[in-house]
Amino acid sequence: MASLVLSNVSKRFGGLLAVSDVNMEVPPGKITGLIGPNGAGKTTVVNMITGLLKLTTGSIKLGDRDISEAEAHEVAFAGVSRTFQNIRLLPEATVLENVVIGFHVHVRSSLFAQLVGLPSSVRETPKLFERGRQLLERFGMSRYADHPAGGLAYGHQRRVEMMRAVATDPKILLLDEPVAGMNDVEATELGDVFKELAASGIGLLLIEHNIRFVNQLCEQVYVLDSGAMIASGTPQEVMHNPAVVAAYLGTKK
Amino acid sequence: MIAQQLVNGIVTGSVYALFALGFTLIFGTFKILNLAHAGVFMSGAFIGYFAVLNGLPLWLALVLAMIGSGLISYIVELGAFATIRGSGQIEFGALISSIGANLCLMSLGQRLSNTKVLRFPFETFPVEFYEFGPVRFSFLQVIILLVVVVLLMAMMFYLYKTSFGRQIRAVSGNERVASLLGVNPGLVYFQTFFISGALAGVAGIMIGLSFNSIHFYMGEPYLLKAFVVVVLGGLGSVHGAVVAGMLLGIFQNLAVAYLPSALTETIIYGLLFVVLLVKPSGLFGSEGVQVGVARR
Amino acid sequence: MMNLVYTYQPLFDYFLLAVGFAYSQQMVLRAGVFSIGSAGFASIGAYFVAIVVKDHGMNAIVALLIATLLGCVGGFLLSIPLARLRGVFQAIATLAFVQIVVSLCLYFDELTGGPQGFNNIPKLVGTWHLLAAVLVTIYFMYVISRSAIGRAFDALRQDETVGATLGISIRKYHMIAFVLSGALAGFFGGMQSLYTFSIEPEMFGFTFLVAALTYIILGGRGTVTGPIIGALIMSVLPELARPLADNRQFFQGILMMVMIAFMPHGVFDGLVLHLRKRRAAARDKLFKEAH
Ligand SMILES: Nc1ncnc2c1ncn2[C@@H]1O[C@H](COP(=O)(O)OP(=O)(O)OP(=O)(O)O)[C@@H](O)[C@H]1O
Ligand SMILES: [Mg+2]
Repeated sequence: MASLVLSNVSKRFGGLLAVSDVNMEVPPGKITGLIGPNGAGKTTVVNMITGLLKLTTGSIKLGDRDISEAEAHEVAFAGVSRTFQNIRLLPEATVLENVVIGFHVHVRSSLFAQLVGLPSSVRETPKLFERGRQLLERFGMSRYADHPAGGLAYGHQRRVEMMRAVATDPKILLLDEPVAGMNDVEATELGDVFKELAASGIGLLLIEHNIRFVNQLCEQVYVLDSGAMIASGTPQEVMHNPAVVAAYLGTKK
Repeated sequence: MIAQQLVNGIVTGSVYALFALGFTLIFGTFKILNLAHAGVFMSGAFIGYFAVLNGLPLWLALVLAMIGSGLISYIVELGAFATIRGSGQIEFGALISSIGANLCLMSLGQRLSNTKVLRFPFETFPVEFYEFGPVRFSFLQVIILLVVVVLLMAMMFYLYKTSFGRQIRAVSGNERVASLLGVNPGLVYFQTFFISGALAGVAGIMIGLSFNSIHFYMGEPYLLKAFVVVVLGGLGSVHGAVVAGMLLGIFQNLAVAYLPSALTETIIYGLLFVVLLVKPSGLFGSEGVQVGVARR
Repeated sequence: MMNLVYTYQPLFDYFLLAVGFAYSQQMVLRAGVFSIGSAGFASIGAYFVAIVVKDHGMNAIVALLIATLLGCVGGFLLSIPLARLRGVFQAIATLAFVQIVVSLCLYFDELTGGPQGFNNIPKLVGTWHLLAAVLVTIYFMYVISRSAIGRAFDALRQDETVGATLGISIRKYHMIAFVLSGALAGFFGGMQSLYTFSIEPEMFGFTFLVAALTYIILGGRGTVTGPIIGALIMSVLPELARPLADNRQFFQGILMMVMIAFMPHGVFDGLVLHLRKRRAAARDKLFKEAH
């Protein structure tokens, strides 16, 4: 499996250096943490990885492949998937349809077959829906299959988004504050799901405000503050790093 | 010859600018493409016509047309836009809804005119000409230019020198914040649509007088031209609309002498197409324009 | 009985043509492309078929196929520059395209008849042809909507950033939407030529695109049934009552405003969504009672 590696990545928005010279690695099969106070540049990093933002400097590699300039859909095909900090579901579609759209990268029938209705395309659709149902089962969401996604409770919407990202069968999964607004029980439950996903070989990048939650799950944590990487290491190392205490905990508490 | 066409072009262009101003004002403030602007324009001409027909003097007809079409424009806002505000689909919704409002206005115009072309009674307007060397102005042209210049100056003053201008800009930035600052959004909507409509109404009556022809579908060609004017000038830019309106008027009048009119249209819309692709913010606009999902 | 058929046959024919154009308009809107260019492609198809069939004696079927192909190529070419634009800018650019086609048809009057229109086109298309064409179109629309293309369209319409991060190439699928929309408009434009004896440039202008948009607003953007319902409402409503027919435009206008305000998904799509919500609520209630 391949690691995601960022080398000297920066992003400038006009006069603001939102991310400056960041180096980090997201290895497969592990949960890597990325923490930092509001406006530190975490989401910007994710947007650069997923092809939504141009890099001002630096490069991003997935295994041997340079994806610094790949378009968003190419990044997805390369095996990087994500969730959004402000949940973005397809509101008119059902939960099942939301998940099935995640299988887009696995569609095998040709465009021609899809346009004229050849069997390869006609048979593929029910198969993908079946796979979608299995995924719902795994996340304990089967009973919401035909609900309009827009009407679900907040925690459930987060799960739908996560299932959709998992449906792409990614090598790397970027989770932008996935447990924000959840209570401890829900968060712990999701934490178990993350561990499972990592155990299956996916490399997870977990972005969080909640340091304690990150410490429980991650072996390696990166700390971003005002765009700069101020520390990295095991949760213990990071927690005791004075720069982190000053910048992060200091401003936070 | 060229000088004469230039003068005619400036007069035509000033009416284009007048029409496009209200259109671009609404877009700049609320991000709404108001296609019912065509219907409001027609309403102005109709109100002016019926006022004159009932024996009112022309200046009074003009004032009535302004007020009437201003109010109609506000009714359009209430019927077509207020209902969908905050629904999250304002861009698409407003386009459809304003097409609907325009159909309603056109249909009323058709009823009122019995599908006929209306003409002002003979001698509504003195047909006089003034010669300046090689150039000839008609009295009507002078009046049009005067009215347009006065209205433009009044509007610029209103927009940039009064507290109302600041209020409009506040609401266009963020309605909620604006109301927290004590701005009444309802009042801003009313004033913006009223001004926009009043300008269109004046343009309508001017065009009605120039060609002495008023009919229920007279707005459509001007609406299509307004797209050209506002895109060239930068969607939402008041100054841009004035300059682009003039340029379009001059180009059209110069082209009349040398090109078949269908080809002139091809060139104008071709230009619109190209400007959208090359510089969607317009020739004079600077505001960034949202383009698709690509690394930015 | 025969009288009834005679009275309503033209209405039915126009309804069928309307369905064809409605699908062309829906195809782009479904993919989240704010194009109103169908009128332009319909014009190209109509004039091409009229000219080659009447003046050059080309076989009508061949002519229609080429018209379809022209629509495809036109859609493809238009999609390349338009990939850069979104929202109202896309709408205005396609409107410019429509106006360019109208003015070119007026300009090349030796070929097209100019403002007098192109007349005496052989009437080779009747109700049955139109019906067959619409049924075949419905088949394709259904197949596409059930395929990965349809799902990609639905995703891009609702949130193109999400679609892109799931692997859907916006450029590619918008191009497909343009091509298919152009093909449908070109084909039905040709059919209309062979049906109506005469065509003129303004037939495929602003009024045309307003009508096509209306069908979709009334019916819906995301389902195969939607455009049929939309075209049906617009064809049947004026026939229901005299005042409705006399003030057709007025009621069309009111309908558009009311629909956008209160049923923004259209009659049919709105119904589907509503039922979905109702069923979900009912199931939630059952579940709560069981626990
Ligand atoms: N598209 C943009 N244009 C301009 N500035 C931006 C843009 N996106 C983000 N920024 C700025 O970049 C900085 C980093 O933002 P970012 O959203 O990456 O922070 P974050 O770490 O995700 O914060 P949070 O914890 O609040 O989610 C902020 O100052 C933000 O205002
Ligand atoms: Mg963030």
